[in-house]
Amino acid sequence: MIEFENATRKYGDKVAVDDLNLLVPAGELFAFLGPNGAGKTTSIKMLVGLLRPTSGTVRVGGYDVTLHHREAASLLGYVPEDVSLYDKLTGREFLHFVAGMYGLDDSAARRSADRQIDAFVMGEFVDHLTESYSHGMRQRLAFAAALLHDPEVLVVDEPMVGLDPRTARNVKDLLRAQAAAGKTVFISTHSLSVAEEIADRLAILDRGRLRSVGTLEGLRKELASHNSSLEQMFLEATGGAASAGKNEPAAG
Amino acid sequence: MSDVSTFSPAAPHASRLLSPHEEARVFRRLRGRLVANLLRQALREARLRLFAVLALSAVLWLALFELFSRGFQFLIATVQHPDTQAQTVGAIYRVFFVSLMVMLVFSTAIILYGGLFRSRETRLLLTTPARTERIFTYKLQEAVLLSSWGFVLLGSPLLIAYGIIALAPWYYYLLLIPYTLAFVFIPGALGAILCLLFVYFFPRQRWHLLAAVGVGTIAALLWWGWSLAGGARGSMLTPAWFHDVFARLRFSEHKLLPSWWLSTGLLQTARGRWSEGVLFLALTVSNALVLHQLAAWLAHARLRTIYSNSAGASAGRKRTRPALIDVAVYRLTCCLPPVVRLLLVKDLRLFRRDPLQWSQFLIFFGLLGLYFMNTRWLRDDSGQRVWIAMISFLNVGVIGLILSTFTTRFIFPVISLEGRRFWILGLLPVDRDTILRTKFLFAFFGLLAPCCVLVFLSDLMLHVPFSLMLTHLVLCVVLCSGLSGIAVGLGARMPNLREELPAKIAAGFGGTLNLVVSTFYIVVVVVMVAVPAHFWISDGAPANRQLAPTWNQYRWLIAGVGGSVICGLLTTWIPLRMGLRAFRKLEL
Repeated sequence: MIEFENATRKYGDKVAVDDLNLLVPAGELFAFLGPNGAGKTTSIKMLVGLLRPTSGTVRVGGYDVTLHHREAASLLGYVPEDVSLYDKLTGREFLHFVAGMYGLDDSAARRSADRQIDAFVMGEFVDHLTESYSHGMRQRLAFAAALLHDPEVLVVDEPMVGLDPRTARNVKDLLRAQAAAGKTVFISTHSLSVAEEIADRLAILDRGRLRSVGTLEGLRKELASHNSSLEQMFLEATGGAASAGKNEPAAG
Repeated sequence: MSDVSTFSPAAPHASRLLSPHEEARVFRRLRGRLVANLLRQALREARLRLFAVLALSAVLWLALFELFSRGFQFLIATVQHPDTQAQTVGAIYRVFFVSLMVMLVFSTAIILYGGLFRSRETRLLLTTPARTERIFTYKLQEAVLLSSWGFVLLGSPLLIAYGIIALAPWYYYLLLIPYTLAFVFIPGALGAILCLLFVYFFPRQRWHLLAAVGVGTIAALLWWGWSLAGGARGSMLTPAWFHDVFARLRFSEHKLLPSWWLSTGLLQTARGRWSEGVLFLALTVSNALVLHQLAAWLAHARLRTIYSNSAGASAGRKRTRPALIDVAVYRLTCCLPPVVRLLLVKDLRLFRRDPLQWSQFLIFFGLLGLYFMNTRWLRDDSGQRVWIAMISFLNVGVIGLILSTFTTRFIFPVISLEGRRFWILGLLPVDRDTILRTKFLFAFFGLLAPCCVLVFLSDLMLHVPFSLMLTHLVLCVVLCSGLSGIAVGLGARMPNLREELPAKIAAGFGGTLNLVVSTFYIVVVVVMVAVPAHFWISDGAPANRQLAPTWNQYRWLIAGVGGSVICGLLTTWIPLRMGLRAFRKLEL
């Protein structure tokens, strides 16, 4: 469902993502791990069409994101790290606008929005302007907007940032439920425990290069780190604790 | 998301791609809802501000209408020959609209740049299945609307005033609307193409190049204004003078200029030749549509690549050494405590690296400079000394008003924005009073330099007496001090710690109050000095700048200046004190 083929992205002379090859099938929850500046957000931005690969191809549902952006975008639901909303729209109006953009007619948009409002318990605040929302409320609305059109692929950049433990638990359940329903879920995270807990497969990215990819067990075998924690494997794959964060590209 | 018991991802509706018409309807609905919500909120929470803005706009419009009406009446009364009269009105129209056209190109380009490449909304829209050209058109319409409201505010009183004076037929007024709409899209689309090409070819240095082109255009306008004002002095409104001025304005008669189509079409309509009016309207509309389509094609083909390249270039160049100006400011302020010097240099760096701030300074002060240079023909008329003095004070007032918009837009929000960075400033061994006083110093010296330069230029062009020039410079200090005190004091007293955008902070209640108080202060201080100066000059003031006035003549002027200094000190001290008190207690 998601395919990175020799995808490289440069910022001037700096290589943010270097020759990334990755295939994520339908029904899988895939977690992208890496230190700051590893290239996770750049990869996600290439996936959702905000950035173009300097070379290589990114495909969603078989559509090249660069050449057939509209078709690829219609399959995607995206929750960015810093959620951006229209301050002067209410949450409900925002949901109706997003539904309209994905081609849902008025009655379908209303039904779908109502479903998400109920599912994310937004009834109390959804008719207020979004400028008054807290971080958690904005995050809930962003998830609701991303799921309105029942996307085949859900992309979430740092899903746990700023969430309280209960909300974080619910987000984890949501992501697992999506994968169980046959959708593809692609998340980037710093949180090793989250990846360890919910991901079917994980990849470790460091300084733009894919260091390891596979299931948790597979990674243990690959890195010859039997019985070691994901944290130990992560540090090993990214060059140890001391070097983490050194020589990072400016954007990532 | 608490209390969510189950997540059922299955939704009953699948997405589909929208047709262009459906997509347009979704965007129209979005804009309609945004405008309706904004108006509803303004009527509910800021009714006073909304009506104040509308009332001030109406007053400004009526004042301009009166000015243009009288100007046209004067022209008709003074220039008797019908051909010369028609030529003069044509020249006024063409120069007016060609100037506005150039400004619209740059303002649309700059606003569109912000809307496309710095806006979170565009980032959101680009991830949806919306067509790229639709997103571009949506942002272009917004940019054209924002950049052309000034054109409408300035242009409509001129056009209506001429229509009334020239007894234009009813369809002249009817055609004004489609003419204006079509015309603003021509420079708008040109600005959009310019913006896209700039970012495409210069993704790294785009701001500097855009600023350089803007400054170059202003310099060219200044040079042109200077050469225009310098012609045929002492022989105004004579056939030779008209001949000379028309020759200098001939460039505006180029038949490929949209401003020429607009001017010619409207003037022909005003004279009852409706078929020529419609012909030129069709020409303007078709060109607007073609240019808009060209811009949309360019966006369709390149916008995503440009956006992607632009995002990649945002890291900018490495800055390993401090800039010379930072070093100079640090050394020049050696008498101040090191902490204050560091804070000053930090604020200077932030200002330098935000072209939005300094480019607006340059544009407004460049235009003021152009206007001042065009007043120099007055200086040779020795019978007009009272008027010259009055104009010189009006110029000081105008400079003050421009400065007050800058203090409202850029100085008032700094405390609110600093509040968001209080996690670092609050932990430093610096007391809060020092932070606020440094803001005041930065604002005061930042405003004083351009203010003094402009006042000096105005006085030089008008050849005002030396004593009056000195008075104006004292007024500059008083104005800058008071305006800085008001902005910093009120900014600390009424911070908005939730908002990230300075423009939105400035547009709030505190910002509006800052603007109103500043305007009132400017009027009081300038009138306090201008009135005694007026009586001083009317009552036998020096006929030339070498002749020194007597003590008796000075007395009222000194009283006025003294009063304004006291007023300035109080206006600096009181708001700053209020601000300091509030800032000490501020909890973040």
